[in-house]
Amino acid sequence: MAARTPAPEHVRLSIDGVELSVPRGTMILEAARSVGTLVPHYCYHPGLSSPAQCRLCLVELEGAPKLVPSCVTEVQEGQVVHTASEPALRMREGVLEFYLANHPLDCPICDQSGECKLQDYVFAEGRARGRSREPKRVFGRDDFGGDVLFYGDRCVMCTRCVRFMDEVAGDPRLTVVERGNRSVIDTFFDEGLDGSPYSGNIIDICPVGALVSKDFLHRVRAWDLEHTPSICASCSQGCNIEIHTRDNAVHRLRPRENMEVNGFWMCDYGRGRYGWMNRVDRIEEPVWAPGAEAAVRGWEEVTALLGSRLRGAARSGEPAAAVASPYASNEELAALHALLAGLGGGEILFRSPEAEREIPLPGFPKLVRRRDLTPNRTGAERLGMRRVGSSAGEGGLEELAGHRGTLIVLGDELGDVAGDFGAQASLYVYLGWHPPDGGALADAILPIATSAETEGSFTNHEGRVQHFRAALEAPGSARPASRVLGTLIAALDGNGVDMSGPPEAGAAAGADGGAGAPSARER
Amino acid sequence: MAISVKVMRRPEPGQTSYLRAALKGMSITFKHMIRPGKVTLEYPEERPELSPRWRGTHVMETHADGRPKCVACGLCPTVCPANCIRLVGGEDDMGNRYPIVYEIDEFRCIFCGMCQEVCPVEAIHVGVHFENAEYNRDRFVYDLDRLMEQDHPPTLLWDPSDEASQ
Repeated sequence: MAARTPAPEHVRLSIDGVELSVPRGTMILEAARSVGTLVPHYCYHPGLSSPAQCRLCLVELEGAPKLVPSCVTEVQEGQVVHTASEPALRMREGVLEFYLANHPLDCPICDQSGECKLQDYVFAEGRARGRSREPKRVFGRDDFGGDVLFYGDRCVMCTRCVRFMDEVAGDPRLTVVERGNRSVIDTFFDEGLDGSPYSGNIIDICPVGALVSKDFLHRVRAWDLEHTPSICASCSQGCNIEIHTRDNAVHRLRPRENMEVNGFWMCDYGRGRYGWMNRVDRIEEPVWAPGAEAAVRGWEEVTALLGSRLRGAARSGEPAAAVASPYASNEELAALHALLAGLGGGEILFRSPEAEREIPLPGFPKLVRRRDLTPNRTGAERLGMRRVGSSAGEGGLEELAGHRGTLIVLGDELGDVAGDFGAQASLYVYLGWHPPDGGALADAILPIATSAETEGSFTNHEGRVQHFRAALEAPGSARPASRVLGTLIAALDGNGVDMSGPPEAGAAAGADGGAGAPSARER
Repeated sequence: MAISVKVMRRPEPGQTSYLRAALKGMSITFKHMIRPGKVTLEYPEERPELSPRWRGTHVMETHADGRPKCVACGLCPTVCPANCIRLVGGEDDMGNRYPIVYEIDEFRCIFCGMCQEVCPVEAIHVGVHFENAEYNRDRFVYDLDRLMEQDHPPTLLWDPSDEASQ
C-alpha cells in the first residue's frame, strides 16, 4: 500500500442493548450484522447501492419520529437502536403481509423454496394467515435469455437484479416497467440477457424465486444440496465458489464471498462449466500393461511393479520427462516435481488453453474472466514447468515423441498426440482422470481423483494460493494424485511401497505451491 | 447384600387334585364354542371391514386428464422417516412441474402416513387396503404408473367423528 489511510473515526451506539463501536459511515444494518443481529432486508445487498425501497429493514431509533430504514441510515454517536421492538416487529409484519398480497405461494414448485428470504422472514415474523380476499395479479413467466428465467408473480420488486446489471455488470438491460402493484421487471430488447457474461449473478442475489436458473430448473430441492467450499477451475482468476452436490453429482456452482478475488460474483462461463466434475468416462482401476494378456490390476500389485522399474530407471541415469496438467493442484504438481527430481531430474511440460479475450466485470475490477483458462498455470510455472503448445491447448508434445527414458503424464488427456506417443520411452506411466487417447502404449495407467474429489490448492494469476475441499467421492479406486505420486516417491527411495498411508502422503514430498505465496484467505 | 434363596413350597403329589383347575379351563373353552360373536373370518369370501384411518399401500391421485397431481415438490422424500420415496422432478411440455420418477419402496415404508400429511397438493395418499402379496420382491417398489392405478380408497388421517382432529 502506498499511502496509509488514517484509522477511521469510530462512533459508539447501542443495538438491541448491545454496546458497540463501529467506523463512522457504517449503516445501522451493517453494524447490527457485525454483532450478529440480522435485520430482514431485500433491496440491500453489500455489493450494490441501497435504494431503501423494500421497507423491510425499518428499525426503531430512539428520538426519531418514525421508523428508519437501517440500510441507509448511518450510525451516529450515542444512537439507541431497537431492531426487534414492538413497533419494528409490527411494521415488518405489515410489510410482509403486503408482499404476500400478490405472491402466488407456489413454494411446492418454486426452485427457491428452502433458500427463499420471503419464506424465512414470513415464517419468522409474518402473520400465520393472510387476510387478503382480492384476486392476485398474474404475470406468468418470461424467458430473460441467457440462463435466466423470470417468474413475475414471485417478484418482491427489490430491484437487486436491475441494480446489478446497471452498477456491477455495467450493462443495464433490465428495468422496472409499469407502476404500483402492476410493476414488473422486464428487459429492454428482444435479446434480453443473452450474451451478458455476468448475468447469472442475478439468480443468486434474487432473494425470492423470481429469477431462477434454467439449467437448475426443477432439478434438486435446495435443502437436499450439500455445499462444499471450492475454487473455480475454469480460469486463472480463482473465484471462490461453493460446489452444490447431491448424490455424488454436482448440480450447480455458486460464488463465495472473497473481496480480494471475486467479491460476491462469478462469471457465467465458470458457472456453467461443471460438467467435467460429473463425467462418467473415468479410469477406475490401476492397470499395468493394459491391453496385454498379462495385465496386472490393483494398487498394490501395480505400484510394486512400478517401484522396481522406477528404481531401475533412477540407477540407469536415463533422462526423465513429464507432462503435467494445469488443472492439477499445487500438491500434485509438487509431488510430480519431486518424483522427477528423484529420477535424476528432467523437464516437465504442460499445455493450457487460452481464451481470445478477457471478460472484465466493470463494477468489480478485480474480477476478470482471464485469458488463461486453467486454474493453476501459475502454480505449474512456479515449479519450473514449461508451457508448450498452442492457445487451444494442443500440440507441443512432439519433442517428447522420441523420448527414450522415463515418461510420466499427469492429467493431460493427450487428445491430439501421435499414435506412437511414448513408444520409445523405457517406462511410460499415465496418471489421469479419463481414459487417455494417447495412452495406448502406457506401461501403467493409474486413476486419480479430480480437483472436485480431493483437497488441494490452486495458485491463481496473481500468485494467491487458495485451498479447495473435496465435494465428490472419487470413482472406483481412484486416489488423489499427490498420494499416488507420494507412494511412488517412497518406493523410489527404497522405503517400500506403503499404500496404507494417509492421503497426505504427497505432503511429505514438499507439497508447497511456490515459496512466499500469500496464504489462502477463505471467508 | 446377601443373596437369599426363596424356597417355593408346593403341595406334594397326592395331597391335592388338579380337577378344579382343569374344569375351570374347560368351562372357558366351551363358553367360546357356543358364544355367538365369533372372530374367525371366512376370508376371502368374507372380507374384514377396515377402519377409514387404516394406512396401507399408497395411492397417487390424478387429474381428470390422467396426469398425476404430484408437482414434485420434494416434501414427501424429505419428511419420510424410512427414506423409501425416490423422486426426480422435471417439467412437462405444458410447463408444469411433475415427477419424472416417483417410486415408493413399500417394503421399506413404515406406513406412518406423513407423506400424505405433508403433501401440499393432496396427491400422495396412504390407502385403505391390505392385500399386497406378490410373486416377486421387485414388485414391491411401486412406480408412478402403479401408484396411479391403485384404486382403493385413500386414508382419512383424522377421526371423522372429531371436528377438532381435522
